Amino acid sequence: MRWVDALRTRFFWWRHRAAWDAQLEADLQFHLEQETADRVARGASPARAAREARLAVGSVESAKEACRDLRQVPGLEPLWRDLRYAVRGLRRSPMFAGMTVTTLAICLGTNLIIFTVVDRVLLRPLPFPDANRLATVVNSFPRAGKDHDGASLTSYYEWRGHLPAFASLSAFRYGTAVVGDAGSAERQDVVRVTPEFFTTLGVRPTQGRAFTDADMTPGQDASAIVTDDYRQQRFGSRSLIIGRTIRVDGHPRTIVGVLPPGFRWLSSHARIFLPLSSTLAERSVNNRYVSGTEVVARLTPTARLPEAQAEVEADYHAHASEFPWAKEIQDAGFRVTVVSLHADQVAFIRPTLLLLQMGALLLLLIGGANLTNLLLIRAGGRAHEWNIRRSLGAGRRDVARQVVVETLLLASMGGLTGLVIGAGGLRLLGLGLAELPLGGTARLDARVVLVGLAAAFAAGGLMALPVIRFATRGGLTTPKAGGRTDTATRATERLRHALIVAQIALAFVLLAGAGLLALSLERVMTISPGFSPDHVLTGRVTLPHETYPDDSARAALAARAVDAIAHEPGVMAAGLSTDVPVNGPSEDNAMTVVGYVPPPGVSPILHNRYGVTGGYFAAMGIPLRQGRFLSSADSARRLRVCVVDEAFARHYWPAGAAVGQRVFDGPLQKRTPSDAFTVVGVVGSVPQSDLTDSRSTGGIYFPFWYDAQPAFFLALRTAQRPESFDPALQRIVRGLDPDLVVDDVRSMDVRIDNSLAPRRSPALLAGLFAMIALLLAAIGTYGTVSFAVALRRREIGVRVALGARPEQIARQFLSLGMRLLIAGTLIGASGAWLAGYAMQRILFDVPHVPAAILVGTAGVMATVALAASLLPSNRAARLEPTEALALE
Amino acid sequence: MGKPTDLVQGTLDFLILKTIALEPKHGWAIAKRIQQISEDVLQVPQGSLYPALYRLERQGWITGTPGEAESGRRVKFYRLTKAGRAHLERELESWKRLSTAINLVIRATSAEG
Repeated sequence: MRWVDALRTRFFWWRHRAAWDAQLEADLQFHLEQETADRVARGASPARAAREARLAVGSVESAKEACRDLRQVPGLEPLWRDLRYAVRGLRRSPMFAGMTVTTLAICLGTNLIIFTVVDRVLLRPLPFPDANRLATVVNSFPRAGKDHDGASLTSYYEWRGHLPAFASLSAFRYGTAVVGDAGSAERQDVVRVTPEFFTTLGVRPTQGRAFTDADMTPGQDASAIVTDDYRQQRFGSRSLIIGRTIRVDGHPRTIVGVLPPGFRWLSSHARIFLPLSSTLAERSVNNRYVSGTEVVARLTPTARLPEAQAEVEADYHAHASEFPWAKEIQDAGFRVTVVSLHADQVAFIRPTLLLLQMGALLLLLIGGANLTNLLLIRAGGRAHEWNIRRSLGAGRRDVARQVVVETLLLASMGGLTGLVIGAGGLRLLGLGLAELPLGGTARLDARVVLVGLAAAFAAGGLMALPVIRFATRGGLTTPKAGGRTDTATRATERLRHALIVAQIALAFVLLAGAGLLALSLERVMTISPGFSPDHVLTGRVTLPHETYPDDSARAALAARAVDAIAHEPGVMAAGLSTDVPVNGPSEDNAMTVVGYVPPPGVSPILHNRYGVTGGYFAAMGIPLRQGRFLSSADSARRLRVCVVDEAFARHYWPAGAAVGQRVFDGPLQKRTPSDAFTVVGVVGSVPQSDLTDSRSTGGIYFPFWYDAQPAFFLALRTAQRPESFDPALQRIVRGLDPDLVVDDVRSMDVRIDNSLAPRRSPALLAGLFAMIALLLAAIGTYGTVSFAVALRRREIGVRVALGARPEQIARQFLSLGMRLLIAGTLIGASGAWLAGYAMQRILFDVPHVPAAILVGTAGVMATVALAASLLPSNRAARLEPTEALALE
Repeated sequence: MGKPTDLVQGTLDFLILKTIALEPKHGWAIAKRIQQISEDVLQVPQGSLYPALYRLERQGWITGTPGEAESGRRVKFYRLTKAGRAHLERELESWKRLSTAINLVIRATSAEG
């Protein structure tokens, strides 16, 4: 490429221009000397030779000039000049520069903070090769109250190798296990996986092997695969650890594989992967719709999600008749969807993140409008200077370049400061927040920095456009130019006013949006939880399968634990439950109520089910409505009794009288009447997933002996600070079995508070955005009205001199502010109304945009805009005619 | 000594390339050589020579490296690059064709006249 070479040579010359100039000087000097010497040698006198040589050689200066023109890189030199000029100009108006850079930095900084999170969570592919081909299968039973469930182990074995769209299919199950030796054991997250799990992900163990089908049989499954991180922490420098053993739940397991460094399974903290072993009974057709297992699949390179979904649907359909409760599944509105693994993982947070990003972008728009206005006003002040430059021969391009250089300089300064604000904000955020979904912390990296700088430049370029337009058409007026108004000037004014209206409208939307989020949060916080969360401490215990193999062993340990805690001084009540309120979805199952015939087509409902013992209801403060609570005695005597909550009772026995009724756990099938449980009491309903859990499908409490799950929560009520009982809880449980630990120890108040975080953080951020937006809109309105006053000083002076009253003057400018406010508010209100609809998914109990929010927002906007217009209007009213006219 | 003929830019470039084809020369030597060979018909002023040299250098046909001249001054010596030599060959070719053609035209018009 010849022109590339030419450009390179030019740049080289330009960079070494001092040396280049010196060489040219030397060459030209030498030329003259040589020419003179040559003539002297041919017999001329030195003086004559010198004169003749100068004549022959021509002008040295014009030669130099001609050569320098060749040296210059096109546009670079003037650009450099413009840049220095711009720096000087900004130095002279530090207020303007500071204001611009700060506004831009705040707007870009907030965008960067949100974008970093959006990028990490939503945009980046999962950290596996060809991650876009990874998918998962979601079962849903909407009419039974369950919208999102994984696919079962049965389905995995039914589909494996039979669905052509899946190149590879595997199942996994999240869980925990006690890892380490007795006394130093620690409860850790583990993931149980089937053989193809790692190949599906495209991950190859750096040592050893993946699991095989042989590992999937109970009794032959004493193997484990660990992450590289775990290897380093547990075995240190010893690199080869295949064949070494670790104790998991008190039993040795052989390490058969080590995963590559950095491997992490989605949001899980698991460092140990165990075989998902199962008996043939567990894989039987009866368990086809059992929850707790999920599948991950890799599509073939040609297959698409709908294709995979069609295959899965066809398979369910083909085998429907084998399943004993096919009708119930159909009544429950069963649906299956194959979704991208990434989309499924982030579905819960996507609307919130997008909303926040929208909010941040609105803020950037407001800031941009504000700055464009500021730039236009400043350009107005420099119209005179530009007119002179134009008349001295500067072309439109020169003026335009000057504007662009100055705006981009401001933009890049704002962008860099914005990066600092973004990095600082993320650090602050990182202090208060746990990790992001899918792991990792939000930090600025090269990619986000590039996007940020690109955004700063784009914003700068956009803001320069109107200024260029008016600067090159002579549409700018200086305040001093007085009454000169031509069409171009009026166009500038119209644009500036439109920008203010836009600012007010956008700020209105942001403020109303923040108001909606706050209202929703407030509604959630005022929900009565249905129990007394104060002074309750809860902690989780998980019993290893090997030492507590059956219900009776687990029930025995549980009874001793509850008894010991209840006798601890200061404890008012102590109990145990398989789950606690606001702890996310719990185990659920359909129930068969004796004497209840569901209306045709009505699905059996999945009820939350709990196993409880001790004084759980008293400890949790769940009120009794009818009959009696369950007690330790029910568990000890293995009574077939149960307690239901109000929603449950209302559903089956709307007339009342739940006590004495009989209920079977699960769908009715070949059961003897002695399997039924007698309802002995009705208690208040409690929210299970979080406070907004609107599933009033009801819950049922069984005695712990019947449903002695290996993981349960201990709960105690005290009059003291609940957290002070953490050590006692640990001491008592370790005293019963040194291998056991109590984890997830939190008071119920803290649990409720934590469950609100996903609603509180967006509301707080939106509030912050709205505050900034309001401030910017106020500054913008103030600036515009002030500028209008400045433009009309002369006119004001004349009017005052002719006897106009100050109120009349003030009214003129106030009415300008009001017109802008009304236009902005009208547009903003419609925007807020639309935004309210877009936000429906993340709002709680705010079905539409309430009038109160609109009126309140309008009130705030009006107050701010009024105050911002009053200041300059009053100044105009106080203007002395002499002062105003003297300016000319 | 007659009035020096003005040189068309393309022609000057061509002459410079031809002059340094044999050995590297500095600016003055190039001008002198053109003058000598043309028997003082072609005089190249600085204002044409040096810009031409820089233009040729920028185009990559010649490169200039500082070297020591007769008087001991460090001045730029220019030599042909590979691309420059190829360019010169092409120019020579077309120059020959052009001058032959012009000669033919001139002869024809003289015969008519």
